[in-house]
Amino acid sequence: MAFLKVVQWIVWKDLVTEIRSRETISSMVFFALIVILIFSFSFSMNQQAAQEVIAGIIWVAFAFTGIIGLGKSFSSELQNDCLESLQMVPAPKGAIFLGKVTANFAFIFVVEILLFPMFVIFFNLDVIEEIPILLLIFFLATIGLSAVGTLFSALTVQIRAREVMLPILLLPLVVPVMIAAVEATKGALHGDPFSLYRQWVELLSIFDVVFTVVSFWLFEFVMDS
Amino acid sequence: MTAISATHLSKSFGHYHVLQNISIEIAQGECFALFGPNGSGKTTLLKIFATLQRPTSGHMAILGHDGSQGKEEIRASLMFLAHGSHLYEDLNAIENLQFALSLRGLSPSDHEIKVALDRVAIGAFSEMKVRNFSAGMKKRLALAKATLAQPQVLLLDEPFSALDTAGMEIMQNYIREVVHRQGTVLMSTHDSDKTRAIAHRAGIIRKGHLEPYDIGTSPDYGLS
Repeated sequence: MAFLKVVQWIVWKDLVTEIRSRETISSMVFFALIVILIFSFSFSMNQQAAQEVIAGIIWVAFAFTGIIGLGKSFSSELQNDCLESLQMVPAPKGAIFLGKVTANFAFIFVVEILLFPMFVIFFNLDVIEEIPILLLIFFLATIGLSAVGTLFSALTVQIRAREVMLPILLLPLVVPVMIAAVEATKGALHGDPFSLYRQWVELLSIFDVVFTVVSFWLFEFVMDS
Repeated sequence: MTAISATHLSKSFGHYHVLQNISIEIAQGECFALFGPNGSGKTTLLKIFATLQRPTSGHMAILGHDGSQGKEEIRASLMFLAHGSHLYEDLNAIENLQFALSLRGLSPSDHEIKVALDRVAIGAFSEMKVRNFSAGMKKRLALAKATLAQPQVLLLDEPFSALDTAGMEIMQNYIREVVHRQGTVLMSTHDSDKTRAIAHRAGIIRKGHLEPYDIGTSPDYGLS
């Protein structure tokens, strides 16, 4: 019960401070819009090529946008040395981890939901019937990205070059999630039967479980070191 | 009973030996003041007791809990008022208190929070975001957090800095109250005048070593 209360309060704090400051989501949306615009102009002359690579473009935008949000997750705790107070919480650090993962997931997923219509408009996608399965793919891939990203955000927060180190360390680790997400998204956008790309969705689920459990376990050591 | 103890405690950052072979015992109901020039290692020693840093060698214990194995018990029994206020700028005073205390497993009522804020004389700013607080107001809010948490061990890093005269008096009275209920206070300070009236003993860190320091302590524990 105390564990869940800590999770709940961490989520509450991160959401309230973000709603009031709008620092993280606004920078994420702004960055992603630039990425969409650049890709959109790059492929404006060749719509067929765009359809072939759109799944990759979507996940490049989502991954880098997510990294912006994940980086701020713990760097915001440096102000007034709030990180010290989190380290001193007399509760399992896993509760702080789950709270942070939940808040990060919420930020990234909300931004993905806001941005996807932009992809639909700029790349002329016909996806009305595929929206439920696309949401499931976004949901599963964002869990994996948030779990590993939260761990590495905590790991790099005390490093001077943390803005550089976070993507360098995080991206190689989330490559399996990104590959599975791109393949599943490609299948959905092409209107393929679910059975053709089902294995990628299942793979995403497995990655989520493995990454969340391992990150949860390692977080205690990261916070105490 | 010993509340805070260190045995042959040393801490180095690379080749720089900040603390060397420090041994100390502070009893329950005692206030100990730590002096020393800037960079002498006062804050480092407090952070080791607060479980925020590991000693390079030696052991420490709080209320009998070993520093390397009983971290969670130690963290539940102490409070560290550090240089940084540990406050969130986009939360107001009440929200900061609710958040910090909830993570400690406490859920003070609205009335208790109001009383704590009034006690440190910032009750009128209870719904103001901490972003708009002065350094002294932040220190008072951090103190309000401690009054609600009622820790058995209180670690204070330069408790009088940034406070005005009234704030210093509030801080002194709170320290007296902690000691009265058999709590233990370890504080780093440069202010021997303010410390003389509350500390039972004092020490000074010189070149990494802790030595007794006579500041003419005459603690006055008639609560005002």
